[in-house]
Amino acid sequence: MARMTTQPLLIAAMVLTLLAGGFAVWAGWSWYGAAHDDAAAYAASRDKVLAAGEQAVQNLSTLDHNDLAHGLDMWQDSTTGDLHQQLADGRVEFEKQVQQAQTVTTAKVLDGAVTELDDRAGKARVMVALRITVQAPKEKPAAKDSRMLGELTRTSSGWKLSALGQAPVGNSAAN
Amino acid sequence: MSTTRHLVNRQRRLASAGAARVATEAAPPERKPRALNPADGRPSSPTGEAPKGATEKTAEETAGPPARRRLPGSRGAVRSGLRRVLSVRTPVVLCILVVLLGGFAAFAATRADSLRSDPAARNAALTDPARTSEVKGQTEKAVAALFSYNYADSGPADKAASTLLTGKAVQQHRGMLAAVRAQAKDQKLVLTTTVTESGVEMIDGSRARVLVYADQSSTRTAGKKPETTYAAAMFAVDVARGSNGTWQISGIDTFGQGS
Repeated sequence: MARMTTQPLLIAAMVLTLLAGGFAVWAGWSWYGAAHDDAAAYAASRDKVLAAGEQAVQNLSTLDHNDLAHGLDMWQDSTTGDLHQQLADGRVEFEKQVQQAQTVTTAKVLDGAVTELDDRAGKARVMVALRITVQAPKEKPAAKDSRMLGELTRTSSGWKLSALGQAPVGNSAAN
Repeated sequence: MSTTRHLVNRQRRLASAGAARVATEAAPPERKPRALNPADGRPSSPTGEAPKGATEKTAEETAGPPARRRLPGSRGAVRSGLRRVLSVRTPVVLCILVVLLGGFAAFAATRADSLRSDPAARNAALTDPARTSEVKGQTEKAVAALFSYNYADSGPADKAASTLLTGKAVQQHRGMLAAVRAQAKDQKLVLTTTVTESGVEMIDGSRARVLVYADQSSTRTAGKKPETTYAAAMFAVDVARGSNGTWQISGIDTFGQGS
């Protein structure tokens, strides 16, 4: 009597267990795949590069003559390699110029995009659309849009700018 | 002395055992004597012996003979008990397993789903090189075609405007080129736009956003000397993939600048 009633129950339980086991294996595999997805890791790097690039470009376009030391420290902190060296070398001269001009420069990142990313080599290129506002004493603030191109290098303390410049303007179509 | 006492004891024991057997035979269910005892046990209890012996006997009887009686069938009983326990416990264990596995599966599935639906992971810019270069290439071509205009032949510009634009970009583009179209004939204007840099910011399915740096040269040949001016432009475009697989510009973001 007992066996006759428990047997189908047992079979049903086993089938359910198998199904649940199968589902668990599939879901676990799916989770593992999603967590170890190369594309996802690359996407995360891309977003990190963009954030670091935009912040660094903004830092390098921001300077208050009242707070030069801090501002220039920030510049050097946002850069690495050649660019870092250039900034360090030209710092004294630059400080003089800014102190004479008494300008306050602020920048706003309008948009940005990563154009190249070599995650292994730790190199990347970014485009940052920037609006720079320069406030000179007794003058109206002047806003200017800048088309920045930057190169980033990965360092032990994150992605930093190793080159920065403006996209050259228009003689490609001229001659 | 000891032997006599021993004998007496033995006799007593035998007698009690016999009495017990008689008791059990006379009253197979144990409850009966117990039920009877309280009835006549109250008056007889002070006298001691008889009821005491009776209770001892019943105790002996319940502890001894039934155990012995179970023994011959005990192996089978244990086996069937085991089987019963197994057959009852196995489904319970399996049910617990089902719940645990199902719980893990559900958890893993939601984790996987949240990882996959993460905006960063969904954005295929750069992570899908083929799609990225497709978006980049088509956007560059579309921008160049849409923002170039030749006073002598407005055909290509009109064709570009009618095929490469969609949504609100149609109106935006018309507004941006209105001045050019108005002056083109008089000034013999040729506007040429070249994309110098572009970067795909985001690709999400059939939508994408591209940041564009472009150079615009406009040449006016109406005067004695043709004069050319250059302008640097930067803007972002939203593009959408049409049904025929080509990317059309659906929005133009000039970051709050005039053109």
